[in-house]
Amino acid sequence: MLSAMGMSSIEELFADIPAEVRMTGALPLPPPQSEEEILADARRLLGSNVALGERVSFLGAGLYRNYVPASVFQLVNRGEFLTAYTPYQPEVSQGMLQAMWEFQTLISELVGLPVANLSLYDGSTAAAEALTCCVRVHNRKATQKDTVYVSELTPPDRLSVMYNYCQGADITIKLLRHHSDGTLDLDAVSEAVGSCGVYVEQPNPLGILDGGLSQLKAILGKTTALIVAVQPVSLGLVEAPGHYGADIVVGEGQPLGSPITGGGPIYGIFACSKDYLRLMPGRIVGRSIDVDGKVAYCLTLSTREQHIRRHRATSNICTNETLIALMGAMHMALLGPEGLHALAVRNMTACILAKQKLSQVENINLPHSNSHHFNEFVIELPGSSKDCLAHLDAVGIVGGFDLSAWYPERKNWILATFTDQNNANQIELLVSHLALWASSQGVNA
Amino acid sequence: MSNLFEHNGAKGQGYSQPAPVLPESSISLPASLTRKALPRWPRLSEPEMVRHYTWLSKRNFGIDTGFYPLGSCTMKHNPRVNEVIAQIPGIADIHPHQPEHHIQGLLAIFHEMQYMLEVCSGMDQVTLQPVAGAQGEFTAVRCVQEYFRQRGETQRTKVIVPDSAHGTNPASAAMCGFEIVEIPSRTDGRIDLDALRAVADETTAVMMITNPNTLGLFEPDIVEASAIIHGVGGQMYYDGANFNAILGITSPGLMGFDAVHFNLHKTFSQPHGGGGPGSGPIGVRSHLAEFLPGPLVKKRPPIGNESQMVIDDMWYGWYQPTHSIGKVQQWHGNAGAIIRCWAYYRRYGSGLRTMSEHAVLNANYLRHAIHKATKAAGVDSMVRDGAEAKVTKHEFTLSLAPAKEMYGISAMDVAKGLLDMGYMAPTVYFPLVVPECMMIEPTETESKETLDEFATHFAEVLQIDAETLHAAPTTTPVRRVDEVYAARNLCLRHPYDDE
Repeated sequence: MLSAMGMSSIEELFADIPAEVRMTGALPLPPPQSEEEILADARRLLGSNVALGERVSFLGAGLYRNYVPASVFQLVNRGEFLTAYTPYQPEVSQGMLQAMWEFQTLISELVGLPVANLSLYDGSTAAAEALTCCVRVHNRKATQKDTVYVSELTPPDRLSVMYNYCQGADITIKLLRHHSDGTLDLDAVSEAVGSCGVYVEQPNPLGILDGGLSQLKAILGKTTALIVAVQPVSLGLVEAPGHYGADIVVGEGQPLGSPITGGGPIYGIFACSKDYLRLMPGRIVGRSIDVDGKVAYCLTLSTREQHIRRHRATSNICTNETLIALMGAMHMALLGPEGLHALAVRNMTACILAKQKLSQVENINLPHSNSHHFNEFVIELPGSSKDCLAHLDAVGIVGGFDLSAWYPERKNWILATFTDQNNANQIELLVSHLALWASSQGVNA
Repeated sequence: MSNLFEHNGAKGQGYSQPAPVLPESSISLPASLTRKALPRWPRLSEPEMVRHYTWLSKRNFGIDTGFYPLGSCTMKHNPRVNEVIAQIPGIADIHPHQPEHHIQGLLAIFHEMQYMLEVCSGMDQVTLQPVAGAQGEFTAVRCVQEYFRQRGETQRTKVIVPDSAHGTNPASAAMCGFEIVEIPSRTDGRIDLDALRAVADETTAVMMITNPNTLGLFEPDIVEASAIIHGVGGQMYYDGANFNAILGITSPGLMGFDAVHFNLHKTFSQPHGGGGPGSGPIGVRSHLAEFLPGPLVKKRPPIGNESQMVIDDMWYGWYQPTHSIGKVQQWHGNAGAIIRCWAYYRRYGSGLRTMSEHAVLNANYLRHAIHKATKAAGVDSMVRDGAEAKVTKHEFTLSLAPAKEMYGISAMDVAKGLLDMGYMAPTVYFPLVVPECMMIEPTETESKETLDEFATHFAEVLQIDAETLHAAPTTTPVRRVDEVYAARNLCLRHPYDDE
């Protein structure tokens, strides 16, 4: 190949790189490996991790290990999907474009809003982009300019992403108070009237389903966006936010279609009413026609995007999570409405069973026991949550999430999650070990 | 035509689920919380679902389908062993909140990836958290912003980008709140140092630039550009979109950059999945390291009973940088993508330079082969180089401006003609500095035979008459799609009968 170009060494191809910036010597990295050696190393290293499926696990707190049907993995690995780029040439990308248009419909129906994009990076960036989006839409008429209100219970890691995305636009984030039972203080919400948007989660990060959220839109009025983050599986039982006035719905799409994969790649859901369409972030597929009048799909409303609008774009997003959204679409297609309902019922009944059993355990308190929960709730322990989780870990149980990581003053709280992957025996096992540990702690908390 | 929403089979039978642990009647949600009507999703059996998505896949073009010379996107082969590795339960079934002793193997791979990217880029600290190139840009610019705030240099409100930059550069900087100063490139896409000097001052926070540039040409003046920016106290940001050209040959550190992002899905072959997922780690020099999003992975000798849980004599743990900007993704980034890219890097290891050499060799050879083929076919007057250069790096540009002038054949026409030949079209109309631009990037994973064949077919397309080319493609699942119609008649979801 070199001689065809009249060259004698590969070095000639790099003659334009000045000597002063040339790397000298070999990279200090291990020697190349064969496929078999890489696979063996991967099995050794990753095999040493504790995969949750090897244990009895009650860890959720934002990511949920629902069963993903085998056909989803088989189909998503078809090379035509897996190895394609963004569908900039619609004539040869109809498959992914149609699949994403279908995804938009499935999400739109799920959350009860007319418009959905084809995914953002994760739930946190979807939430953060929702905040900047509502300011773009409402700031002109807002009496509290550049201001949004966010539930104080928002997971700190998600809140941190929000701060990063909002600070550049000089958006002030104010926090919304909650009652001690974990529900939103609706009186406090009136402070948010006149701001650009209000962000809440349903279920909230303590697993609580808050019926009061259905009153928010009436309090806020038209000029303040109601943004609701959802756990998508819950919507098989719980009212879709679009049906009680939400303007934007976001969420971690992961429980539909995707394993938890160490926290990524997963996909963020973003759906909205038509008022937000032209100022929303992310890619959108539209149905169109080709020159013969045949139904055809293509990316549309691209003038919002960075490759056209550059620094005036509604978001900098380019690469998103299309393939994972495709897994979500496949899972939704296979579930159907009744399958989603059944999946939600499996999650919620596992949670109810655990709650019933744990409420009878001495020395253990369920601080929000009077609230409705979807698939997780707080357990207050008679001792340190760290000690308790370590104790459970030693017997092969991943007991939940240590809430002191979010709320340092809550040293005795864990968030335990119950999904379709937890059968009655597993729940019994957790209850008995918690009871054992709690009794060893002596005096009540 | 397979329409997902036409399927309305037996309720709840798409796949069987076990019974719930309690009867549904144990659920007692108040009316305010209860969903009244389920989503109007279709009802498919597994065979129907499998056929639908198989049909869709056949209407999609991937690298597996054929040569994919999409400039700026580095569409290299995606080795399948990487997919096997990503499904090992030790990554697929890992929760980011698991304790460190559960994930020593994962953290070891994270640490190795941080280190590998550090030595390849000449940076001091890498974070793997950003999940896409654009998010990497945003993250790095945020770090620089906080760095200047801490130093009290709040007058630095401007970010300089060349007009040939990727659109994400100005978009990311604007998201951080910076004012964008666009400077003109020279006709070959290279930096105009005089234009840079004219705008660089004490209000400059960052200059964002990619090298090789978007025309695939190395910036010989990069050290001088760095000196100009550093001379006014600003920071240099390297857009790693074109990193595939320079691994082991030069590095952003050697060129004077302070911060870098990597597009792992380009350089290290995370499959692009029709638009994602990607992974966009960033690397920074030490003065910016404590501003990075946390946590990072650090290693140290094990303490106490940790020694019973180590995998290679070291303990891997999370570290929170002291002035961290916070998080840009809620978890630890796209861990699954990082694992795949680790597997790709391991194939080359210390020989990563070979990867870039072959990428650059393929690009130059294809450029040469196209000129040779068009000359042999007598159509060489229709196409010229996007920029004069003896050699290019991993990609190159062609201008179809002569074809447009002579016959009214546009770069888009040629692109659609190539679709009919069974190829993915190269990137068209970017960068804007080249009229009727076609940007071609073959990557290192293509054979000489593929490149020769593509060159021949490219010349054949140029021999097709204008009228036929305007009508291309004709062999694809649909013909030219009306994007204006799509925008004017917005149909963004399935129209149900009652709508």
